[in-house]
Amino acid sequence: MKKILSLGLAAALMATTLAGCGGSGGSETTAAPAADTGTTAAAGEAATTAGGSDAAAPAGAVEITWWAFPTYAQDADKPAGTYEAEIIAAFEAKNPDIKVNLETIDFTSGPEKITAAIEAGTVCDVLFDAPGRIISYAQNGKLVKLDDMFTDEFVKDVNNEALLNSCKSDDGSYYMYPISTAAFCMAVSKQALEAADAMSCINMEGDRTWTTAQFEEMLKKLNAAGFNGATVYCSGQGGDQGIRAFVTNIYDSQVTNDEVTEYTLNDEGGIKALTKIKEWVDAGYMLNGSAYNGGEDVDQFVAGNTAFTTLWSPGLASQRAETLTQNEIEAIALPFPSDDGVPELEYLVNGFCVFDNGDAAKAEASKKFIDFMCNDEEWGPKDVVRTSVFPVRQSMGDLYPGDEEMGFYASLTKYYSPYYNTIKGFAEMRTYWFPMLQAVLNGDSTPEDAVNDFVTKANQSIANAQ
Amino acid sequence: MKQSKFNKIRMRETLISYAFLAPALFFFCIFVLLPMIMGVVTSLFRYNMKGMTFIGLDNYVNMFKDEVWQKSLVNTLILVVGSVPITVLFALFVAAMTYEKNPFTRSFFRCVFFLPVVTGTVAVTVVWKWIYDPLNGILNWLLKSMNIIEKNIMWTGDKKFALWAILIILITTSVGQPIILYIASLGNVPKDYVEAAQVDGANDLQVFWQIKWPSLLPTTLYIVVITTINSFQCFSLIQLLTSGGPNYRTTTIMYYLYENAFKRFEYGYANAMGVVLALMIGLISFIQFKALGSDVEY
Repeated sequence: MKKILSLGLAAALMATTLAGCGGSGGSETTAAPAADTGTTAAAGEAATTAGGSDAAAPAGAVEITWWAFPTYAQDADKPAGTYEAEIIAAFEAKNPDIKVNLETIDFTSGPEKITAAIEAGTVCDVLFDAPGRIISYAQNGKLVKLDDMFTDEFVKDVNNEALLNSCKSDDGSYYMYPISTAAFCMAVSKQALEAADAMSCINMEGDRTWTTAQFEEMLKKLNAAGFNGATVYCSGQGGDQGIRAFVTNIYDSQVTNDEVTEYTLNDEGGIKALTKIKEWVDAGYMLNGSAYNGGEDVDQFVAGNTAFTTLWSPGLASQRAETLTQNEIEAIALPFPSDDGVPELEYLVNGFCVFDNGDAAKAEASKKFIDFMCNDEEWGPKDVVRTSVFPVRQSMGDLYPGDEEMGFYASLTKYYSPYYNTIKGFAEMRTYWFPMLQAVLNGDSTPEDAVNDFVTKANQSIANAQ
Repeated sequence: MKQSKFNKIRMRETLISYAFLAPALFFFCIFVLLPMIMGVVTSLFRYNMKGMTFIGLDNYVNMFKDEVWQKSLVNTLILVVGSVPITVLFALFVAAMTYEKNPFTRSFFRCVFFLPVVTGTVAVTVVWKWIYDPLNGILNWLLKSMNIIEKNIMWTGDKKFALWAILIILITTSVGQPIILYIASLGNVPKDYVEAAQVDGANDLQVFWQIKWPSLLPTTLYIVVITTINSFQCFSLIQLLTSGGPNYRTTTIMYYLYENAFKRFEYGYANAMGVVLALMIGLISFIQFKALGSDVEY
């Protein structure tokens, strides 16, 4: 009897653990009766795991999941995801047949989470990100085509071929629906420049363009006055677009050719730029950044430890405004210096993609949600402003009237360079970039050898991704 | 008849035993055994986001030719060879110095050395990042204040210091558990043996090596094996502090595996590295068991 009881207990234990492990599976539509079809997502309870409206989905509603990087600015003291929850509430009010679950992810672990989820078949439906990653997912056949969202009216309204191309994969189809954009630039501390008598080195007129010679003069004056220059940050991939643009601008080089089919940084300008940067670091004008990534370089700038940073954007200016004020630093945004005084800037494009989870209803619902976020009369412009950059739709007009600084950032769009983040193997290329800079700065290789090796590996990454 | 009944009882008991084992076995198979098998199988494929193509042993051949993998192997071995003996000796020293102290002192030292273990790698690494910061780090400030260095050192970005900086953190996060284990183990050494040896005229060193050390061998074996495995799997420190830099000076096999899987989406290649790493750990653990386990009496 005891044995039978023991066997029964063991079976019960097994059943319990199995039941605990089991999930509901990915139901495509929710069959539960609607307890509350209202959209009562409290703004403050935005989620790190599952957010959106906390109401049960109505019967037959399509349920989609949105993974959001912290791209939208939140109101003061509100946690990540708060604003996103407000968008969802507004969308669900207009579309009661769709329920959106929100999950906020961070830039540190988010990309790995997406990769793992893609392989496990548990990835979200909607992702808010940038072309670099999105187009690589598209190239691997993981995304739904969004061609039908690029109407003639939308294309005409955007009126920027380079930007539209950044949303396309190599099959010619669109996979990312863009909402906002801005150029990456650099920033200097007005206080440091004034103290070093270096304000004359920069240009505060027009688009604030300046030359490499002016920049070098500024470096010397800052150094003579005891200020640290920026770090040539290269401890990892974070913010690498800024330092790449800095390198390419100094002597008018390009990361890739105009057709974005081949890496060309080992041209004369690229080698000259890396040689010059090494000279500046050795002379103490700039700091060896082998221990800093982009975010940490910005940290040093806003803390007043360095006089300038080579990673800046209107979004960063907005995020770091409070710290700058506390540290009594006025940041002056500038385009990167270049030999001819005409910068070629890299730029960010914020946009949405839809993962192909094998469910047409979810894909359609996801597109509807994206359309709402980008094109709703009320929420479209609000969403753009929350990204602290500029709308891709020209019809939205000036969303920052009277803001002179935003006017300057807007003026930089004319200096956009060919967008190479959608090149095949882009993710692999990034893993070669920072070791190359480290090799130059630490004297492991000559600039020429290092950049040649980088270009060889980067071009191989294109072939690897075929 | 009797034999048959006995067999029946044994069979029933065996079944019951397996029934109790079944839940754990089920999860072991699903979450440990199956992924291991899948890891080995997929290491024979060109496996990325696009799909899988069978390529036999190409991933292994490419891996052994890969210069970065070779650097990673050397770095990993340096970390293992550097951290294991230091961790064991330091833990033994601290335990020997503190196990006979009063309970408060003993608990204090246990707490101090165990704190990095329970704090969590990310928090510990962030603190070390501040310590090593080239511009504002406390280590540079301290060394400059003591006139040991003149200029700030970029601890995690300088090719001369980066791996040693990682090794120091690895040791500080590894010593906590061995100290606790050694303190417990030293407390279990029979006092009679120690007193008998002392009566026979043995000095402190002789008492330690002849009486206490043999009793500590099972604990030492466990500590050596666990510390070796942890050192081979050093990953989060690298990811959070150096991303393998400068110029692959701190890339470990685990970090390179991660980079291939999650940055380059080369899952098959990464799995090949995982298989080789597992084999290396298994082989070294086997040697350690053979070398240290023969004198161990449980």
